[in-house]
Amino acid sequence: MLKLTGIHTYYGNIEALKGINLEVKKGEIIALLGSNGAGKTTTLASISGLVPPKRGEIVFDGESIINQSPESIVSKGLIQVPEGRHIFPDLTVLENLKMGAYLRRDKKGIADDLEYVMSLFPILAKRSTQSGGTLSGGEQQMLAISRALMGRPRMLLLDEPSLGLAPLIIRNIFDIIRQINLEQGTTILLVEQNANLALRVAHRAYILTTGSITLSGVADDLLADEGVRKAYLGG
Amino acid sequence: MDYFRDLLISGLTKGSIYALIALGYTMVYGIIALINFAHGEIYMIGAFTALIASMVLSQLGMAGWGLLLAVGAVAVVYAAMYGWTVEKIAYKPLRQASRLAPLISAIGMSIFLQNYVQLVQTPNFLTFPDLIPEISFLEPISHIVNKTQLAIWIITALIMVVLTCLIKFTRMGMAMRAVAQDKDMARLTGVNIDRVISTTFVMGSSLAAVGGLLIGCYMQQIDFYIGFLAGMKAFTAAVLGGIGSIPGAVLGALVLGFAESFAAGYLSSDYEDVVAFVLLIVILIVRPGGLLGSSQTQKV
Repeated sequence: MLKLTGIHTYYGNIEALKGINLEVKKGEIIALLGSNGAGKTTTLASISGLVPPKRGEIVFDGESIINQSPESIVSKGLIQVPEGRHIFPDLTVLENLKMGAYLRRDKKGIADDLEYVMSLFPILAKRSTQSGGTLSGGEQQMLAISRALMGRPRMLLLDEPSLGLAPLIIRNIFDIIRQINLEQGTTILLVEQNANLALRVAHRAYILTTGSITLSGVADDLLADEGVRKAYLGG
Repeated sequence: MDYFRDLLISGLTKGSIYALIALGYTMVYGIIALINFAHGEIYMIGAFTALIASMVLSQLGMAGWGLLLAVGAVAVVYAAMYGWTVEKIAYKPLRQASRLAPLISAIGMSIFLQNYVQLVQTPNFLTFPDLIPEISFLEPISHIVNKTQLAIWIITALIMVVLTCLIKFTRMGMAMRAVAQDKDMARLTGVNIDRVISTTFVMGSSLAAVGGLLIGCYMQQIDFYIGFLAGMKAFTAAVLGGIGSIPGAVLGALVLGFAESFAAGYLSSDYEDVVAFVLLIVILIVRPGGLLGSSQTQKV
């Protein structure tokens, strides 16, 4: 469904991605793991068009999306939930959700999806008239995911959904991620620092080290792998 | 007491005009963090267009409220085109440049437009007809409030209500707020930033054109230079109220209008402009973010 071939991305003169190859098949959950500064977020920014790569090819659903604007990539159903959630702080929760459906015109479908995300995260219904900035970190993450769902994604890019959240909330959010994948058939590319957590929901995983993919494989194998355990899972 | 009342009335009138211009400054700043110094010139161009349109249309036999509306429409469309073009020529190519570059480009645009109007029109003052029709119920109190003042208040108030509704309740209004708060995230929801920025310039320029038309009716004379001081004052009003904040711009404009009016009335009209800028300095010392602005420090 999504295929990156030889992606090189620069920030000024600094080469942040040194030829990334990565493939996500329809219906999969793929984890992209690595330590701080390995280039995980840059990979997502390259896909979503915020930081266009210098060289390489990105194909989504058989169509090249390289050098396209973020808004046209979103319109194809490839939707990102950025790191740090990026809730619009002075928009209400409901308005944040409506922003997620910005490109859609089907009133009925939008209303149905509003109901759906509020059934996934009932707290959002309770907070719908509050401004986004007043929510707690966990609530903001739920809102960020819901906002992306409002765009009817065919594929979701999730950047560090567990960042800074309490374990109980993380479990709730990861359950929902799995549920979205199962119920809606949404393909997911999940970027995480918490490798243990990510490998438990993902089908396959790629490990990124300073701008290059150094290892990839089936999630269960990686979980069992001695070297991976030592390097990424804390023994 | 009568004197005080008169000052209050003239302060409100001035403040209303400032508000129409200040909104353009604050909206553009809210979206792209740029002080559009050419905005005062758009107001001036609005006034000139209104003057030309009023001459042509009254020759064609139009009069009364119909004439006022038609002149307003022509001025708004023309000024909006100028505002749109200025953004495309002077600011859009500099979107990725350092913040100083578009600021200098804005000052250049302002000087260019002033000189352009001076050359193609005239360096002299032109008489502007008072296009506001007689309002019959005002006649008994016309020595207190004249028709032009009342029309300025009502038109300004109506525009504020319409603008607030546009920004609060329409899809484009929501996109504008989203872009102002988080540009990258807005793009990730599919917002076309260029279109939102252009719309903001068009809206701000339209408001300034209405201000230009009304000031023409009120002062009954215009020249190519009226945009400079009015632009400075409106910019002051926007900063006073908290730049980026729409209710702030209106509040700042009214405070400034009253302060100038009272300074002129009780001290001397020579102090009018001094008071405006002293007020700005005092408020910024006490509240650096402006009256309704957020005082939060910028995140880096």
